[in-house]
Amino acid sequence: MSDMNNTPPLPPQPSNSEPASTPTPPPAAPGAVPPLFGAPGTDPADRVPITNMFGASEALLRHPRRIWFQLTQSGQLHLTLALLGIALGCALVYGFVVGTFSGQDQLWAAPVKIAAGLLISGLICLPSLYIFSCLGGANTRLLEVCGLVAGLLALLAVLLIGFAPVAWIFSQSTESVAAMGALHLAFAAIATGFGLKFLALGFRELNARFSGGLRVWAAVFVLVLLQMTTALRPLIGTSDSFLPSEKKFFLAHWFDTLDKDSRTGNPR
Amino acid sequence: MNTAVQVTQIPVLLRGETKSVVAWIRQWDWSRVRAWVAVTVLGAALFGAAIGWWRAPLQAFYTAAKFPLVLLLTALGNAVLNAMLAPLLGVNMGLRQSLLAVLMSFTIAAAILGAFAPLQFFVAWNVPSFNLELRSAFLGYRFMQFATVSFIAFAGVMANVRLLPLLRAHAETDAAALRVLFAWLAGNLFLGSQICWVLRPFVGLPQAPVEFLGPGLFQGSFYEEVFQALRAVLLQQAEVGL
Repeated sequence: MSDMNNTPPLPPQPSNSEPASTPTPPPAAPGAVPPLFGAPGTDPADRVPITNMFGASEALLRHPRRIWFQLTQSGQLHLTLALLGIALGCALVYGFVVGTFSGQDQLWAAPVKIAAGLLISGLICLPSLYIFSCLGGANTRLLEVCGLVAGLLALLAVLLIGFAPVAWIFSQSTESVAAMGALHLAFAAIATGFGLKFLALGFRELNARFSGGLRVWAAVFVLVLLQMTTALRPLIGTSDSFLPSEKKFFLAHWFDTLDKDSRTGNPR
Repeated sequence: MNTAVQVTQIPVLLRGETKSVVAWIRQWDWSRVRAWVAVTVLGAALFGAAIGWWRAPLQAFYTAAKFPLVLLLTALGNAVLNAMLAPLLGVNMGLRQSLLAVLMSFTIAAAILGAFAPLQFFVAWNVPSFNLELRSAFLGYRFMQFATVSFIAFAGVMANVRLLPLLRAHAETDAAALRVLFAWLAGNLFLGSQICWVLRPFVGLPQAPVEFLGPGLFQGSFYEEVFQALRAVLLQQAEVGL
C-alpha cells in the first residue's frame, strides 16, 4: 500500500494574474455536462491517501473523488485490488445471508456463487467497457477502467451489506422462494444503480464522457448480472447439484419459479 | 518501434485520432503491420472460438482458425481493386495506403469483436444446445444468432465510422470520401460473403459431424444460394396465389 501514499504535488491553481498569452479553455459544447467541482486532485481532500480496505470502503461511500483521483496515480493497482477485496468480502457475507433462507449446503454454496458471479460478470464486461470508452474518444487507460469496474463492484457489494439485515429478517419470515427472489433482486437493482452512477461519474471526472456507449454497456452489464443469477442457480432454495444441468434464459427461470411457487408453495 | 509497442497504440485507432492515423498510413512500417495483423488474428480468433464453442470445443478451435482468415483474405483479395477505386473516385491513395487503411479498419473491427468475445462465450454458455423439437432451445438459438449478428454489425459499423475521417483526409471532397467508403464496403462485403461461404461451417448442424471445412468446399456460391432461396420463396408465394 506504500505506493498509494506517493501522491504528486498539487497542480498549479489558476490565479487572476495569469499572463494574457495563457490559452483559455474552449467553450463547452452544447449539451455538454460541466465537471462536478473541477478535476479530481484539485481539492486537497481528494489527495488523502487510501491505505487499506476500510479506507477504500469509506471513500466509496463518502468521498468517491478520492478513489477517482487515486486511480490516476501510480498506486492504482493496489487500490483496485483493495476494491476487489471489498467486493469479494461483502459479496461472501451477503451470500451467507442469502443462504440462511434454505440453510444446509446453501450456507456455503450461495456465498461462493454470489461472489464468483459478481466478479465473473465484471470480468466478462470489462473488455467491452474499455472498447466503448475508447470508441467514445475517452483517453482512459485500461488500469483506470479496471479500477472503476472494481469500484462499481465494491460499492454494489457494500450496499448489499447494508440491506443484509432486512434480507435476513424476511428470509426467516417467509417460505416463498419467489418473494425472496424478488426482494433480493430489488436490493441488487438499487445497489447496481448506485454502482453504475459511481462508474459514470468516475468516467466524467476522468474527463472521459461517452454517455451513449456507457448506457449500452450498463444495459449489457445488468443483463449479464441477471443471467448470472440463472446460470448459477439456485442462489435461493435447494438443489441436488451445485450448478444446474439445464440452460435457461433468466426470464424463463423467473416464470417457472413463479409458476412453481403458486402451485406448490415452493418450500425451502 | 517494435510490434509490442505498436499493439499498445490500438486505443488510438479506436478513438479515431485522425492526425496520428493519417501519419501511420503514409508510411509502410512492418512492425505496425505485424501489430495490426496480430490484433486482427487474435480478436477474430477469440470471437470465432466463442461462436464455435456453442457447437463443440473442437468447432471452437476450427472457427477460431477460420474467422481471422475471412478478414485477412478479404483485405488481401480486394487490395488491388480498392487501390484502383480510390483514385478513380477522388481519393488520393496508393496500393499500400489503401491496403493499410482497410487493414486498419479490420483491426478495429477485430479488436471490438475480441472485446465482445467474453460476452459471446457467456451467451454460448447460457443458450441450450440446438434442438428444433424444443421450443426453448430454438428460441435460444435465435437469441444466439441475434447476439452474434449484433456484435458483428456493431464492430463493422464502428470500423467504417473510423475509416471515413481517414478517407476524408486524403479526399478532394467529402462526397469523394463517402463514394470510396461505399465502394470499398461493397467490394469487401461481396468478397467477404463468398469467403465465409467457402470456409463454412462456423457453427455447423447439430446432426452433422464437426468438421474444419464442409464437403462442398467450392461448390456453388453464397449468391447462388441466396438466389435459390429467394426463388423458392417467390415460387411458393406464386403457388399460394394461384
